[in-house]
Order: sequence, then C-alpha cells, then structure tokens
Amino acid sequence: MKMKGLIIAAGIVTAVLGTSTAAVAQAKGYTAPRTPDGKADLQGIWEIPKSPDKDLDGSKFIVDPPNHKIPYKPEALAQKKENARNSAANDPLNKCYMPGVPRINLLNYPFQIFQTPDYVAIAYEYIHNYRTVYMKRDKHLPDIDFWQGDSIGHWDGDTLVVDVGDFNDQTWFDKAGDYHSDQLHVVERYTRTGPDTLEYEATIEDPKVFTAPWKIRAELKRDTRPNARLLEYECQYLADEAAKKKGK
Amino acid sequence: MTKSLLSLIAGTLAIGTVLWLAPGSGFGQEEPAGPPGGRGGARRGGFGGRGRAPLPPPGPVKRMADGKPDMQGYWNAANNGGAVFEVQKHPRRLQSLPAGEGAIVDPPDGLIPYTPEYAAKAKDNFENHLADEPELHCYESGLPNQMYRQFGFQILQPPGYVVMNWEFMHAYRIIPTDNRPHVLPASTKLFMGDSVGHWEGDTLVVDTTNLNDRTWLDSAGNIHSDQMHVVERITPVNDRTIKYEATIEDPKAYTKPWKVAFDFTRNAQPNYEIMEFACIEGNQDVRHYTPDEGGTAKESKKK
Repeated sequence: MKMKGLIIAAGIVTAVLGTSTAAVAQAKGYTAPRTPDGKADLQGIWEIPKSPDKDLDGSKFIVDPPNHKIPYKPEALAQKKENARNSAANDPLNKCYMPGVPRINLLNYPFQIFQTPDYVAIAYEYIHNYRTVYMKRDKHLPDIDFWQGDSIGHWDGDTLVVDVGDFNDQTWFDKAGDYHSDQLHVVERYTRTGPDTLEYEATIEDPKVFTAPWKIRAELKRDTRPNARLLEYECQYLADEAAKKKGK
Repeated sequence: MTKSLLSLIAGTLAIGTVLWLAPGSGFGQEEPAGPPGGRGGARRGGFGGRGRAPLPPPGPVKRMADGKPDMQGYWNAANNGGAVFEVQKHPRRLQSLPAGEGAIVDPPDGLIPYTPEYAAKAKDNFENHLADEPELHCYESGLPNQMYRQFGFQILQPPGYVVMNWEFMHAYRIIPTDNRPHVLPASTKLFMGDSVGHWEGDTLVVDTTNLNDRTWLDSAGNIHSDQMHVVERITPVNDRTIKYEATIEDPKAYTKPWKVAFDFTRNAQPNYEIMEFACIEGNQDVRHYTPDEGGTAKESKKK
C-alpha cells in the first residue's frame, strides 16, 4: 500500500517488533497476570507480526474450515471476484475508511488494550481508532449500525470474549475484496498465552454471504520496549499531502 | 433513511454543527435521562435541554482503590466562552462564529500573545483559508483544541494510565501517570503529541511535547507552531466537575506563555454511550464553507 511507505514512525515500531524473539516459547498452562479486579491482564501494545491483509482467503490464518477457504455462497463468491478486479480502487482502506473487525486487528499497526471493570478499550495506531468493549451490557444496540460494529464482552475463564454485531456492509476483510453483508457477526477471543504473546481468534458468520461460520487465529506479539507508545497513522492527512505534492 | 447512513450523517452533522451552535445552547450540560429508544436519532448528551430537572448538590470527588481521584465517566467541556469557535476573546466575526469571551485567563486581555509573524498567519487563515480548518478534513484537533471539542469524552483509569476517548473524530489520548520521561525524538511530530503525566495531590499534571503544526486552536484560524509545549492541570473538585487549566508556550508563535481555564461537567445520563463518529467516511463539510454554499471563505489554496 503506497501510503505505508510514507509512515516512518510506524515502520520503526514494526521493525522493532519483528526482531523480538522473547515470545516464541509458549508454554501451555501459562497463567496471565491479574488486573486489580482479578481478571486476566491483557493490557499492553500488541501487533500481528505478519499481516494477512493482502489476501486472507486461503491463508493459514483461516483455521476453520481446514482448507483455509472462506465458505462463500456461489453468488457471493462472484461478488468477491468482482471486488478483487477493482480492489485498489474499491478497497475501503484506500479511502481511509475505518477497517471494521477483525481487519483492524490484523493490520501491521499496533494497538493497545486497556481494562477497567466495566470497559475494555482498544486504541489503534491506525487512523486513531478506538473500540469500546462494554463489559456490563449484554445486548447489541437496536436499529443502528457501525463501521467498527458494536462490541460487548465477557470473560470465559482467562479469555476475553467479545461479541461484535451491528456492522454496516461497507468494510472488507482484506485488500483482495473479501467482504460481508450487514448481517456480519464476529465473536473474538483474546487469550494471553505467554508474557509477550496474545492469541487472537475470530469466528465470522454472515448468513447472507457465507454457507457456514469460519474462523481465523493469529498470534499477536507485545511491544516490550520500555515506555513504548502508539504513534499515529493519519491516513487522510497523508493522502491529502500526497495529493498536494502530485498536484504541484 | 437506511441504518447504514446514520453514522455517515452523524459525522457530517457533527462538524457542520460547530458552525451554528451557540455556546451554552446545551452541550456541556448535564442532562436527565432521555426517553428510551432514542439511540441513533437526534444526538444525545448535550443537545436539546428540554425537561431538565434540577440537580442535587454534588458529592465528594470519587476515589480509586489507591486513593487517587476517580474521574471515570463521561464528560463535556463547559464554561469555555465558545473556545471551539475561537479560543481567545472574540467579537462575532461571521454568522458561523458567534462572539464569546474565549477561554484565555492569562494574559488578562484574553488574547493570544502572537508574534507578528504568527499574528499575520492567523489573520490570513481567517480571511482566506477557513476551508482549511483541519477538522473539516477529518484530522485530529491537537491541544488544547481537543479538550473543548463538542460531544464529550469518556475517561477511563486502567492501572497506570488516564485514557480519554472522544466521540469527536474518534480521537483518543493515552496519558501514562507514572511520570515517565518523553522518549520520542524531537523530530517525531504528532497531531496529539506525546503526553506524560503524574499526580500532584488531586491534580493530574500532563506534559505534552512532539506536537505538529498541522492543527488549529479553533475554527477561526488561530494557530501554533511545532514548538508548542502544553502543560495541563486537571483537577476534579467534586463528583461532577473537573477544573481544567492548560499553559501553552511556543517561542516561535507567541511572545509569552498563555493559559486557558474551563470546566468539564459530568454527563450523568444513565446508560449514556459514545457513538461512532464517521468523518472521512461521509465528509461533505468542506463545501459548506465555500461561497457557492453560502460560506465566506475562498477555495483552499492547498487543494
């Protein structure tokens, strides 16, 4: 993606994370540290080491079905192929739109998780997005939809389970035109598997587009540098600056 | 209207609303519970004002387990003299920019102590470049502008941090409270800067550097350079009022430091939540400034 080259700061973060080897070992039975209210502490800055954003379909990140293929309905597969034909022009990310879920968690930009008893907040370096996960609400909001969906959470042991609904039909899963309808429903599972590793799973269902639910899994790495912080990837600003340069 | 249009329209309205909403017309006020099922319709948490019940007296500052003030909840900027229109004391300069006292408490004249160069730049912005207001292009507002932006924000206090999440532009601030040093090189410039904080009694002191020069201070074209340094003092005084002060220095743009002060008031509406602010996803706002849309600004020279 052309804009990526413009962001030096984000690149530094990526480079540093890429050299981290501390998180390779991952013992079963790891017990996460605790937050003050006794929950598993998932806080920290996390990022996927290698993004599947080029093409999720067929990649090893899809763990169900076993053939790694997104189970499109026949007419939906035709739409995906149509999307792919014009993907550079039509990819919502190339217009600096919000990526949706799970795509925003699978980009090569870090995000930071914060936990309080009532909320989990996830702040993203990518276009200063944040998600609020409501831990004390158990129903999605009626009669509204969102680019990033509506996130309600609960704990399954030490796993944070986030149920995301109320999506619009405007986002894609990747650059390759993999898509969904406004019937998308995503269930995310965040499990700390080591001091510097976070397992991320998302089960994706959409009866208008897929014949069955499908599941992705990725291991995210923690930014272990002291005083690490998120930087800013300001997509629209960079696009405007690039357009100005081109125009002159 | 389809559901999917709502967030687009909300974002577009949100910016446009800045142009005509008079200060004191409701935002920044606490509100009683609205009718159920109002979500997704008219904006909540600051607009309207019908049926407002008298408030009971405020209670004491809430406390975290470690004794620090607990500021968690939803807040709105208040009593800032229309700072979002213009941060300094200002006459009505346009229909879209009503007169106001501004938020500057020092110097006493309420005016930004510009250097001649930056006074000229600000004047040029106002006269020729209002369509370049960064928010019209969906950029974050920077400091202290973000702190008096409309629609309110949520404070969270996870261990070691104060986090502020705004509805406007889905901007956020992550403020570590362990008094850590600034570690970014001076050449790294950010819209929201690098903020580090510590507690002095009940006051959260936040020091912010690494700010870029691409944000404005308000909708009237007031500006700063990339040498801006902001020190904020954030002090809850009861369970529904936070006193806010920011000292702003910038040797390139100002002849001396200046200070703003105003309040955040708690939005106590039950079950209130921040909605999604889609800006670039539906931005139609820049055109509202141009002459053929009834605005007064010339077309942006930056385009």
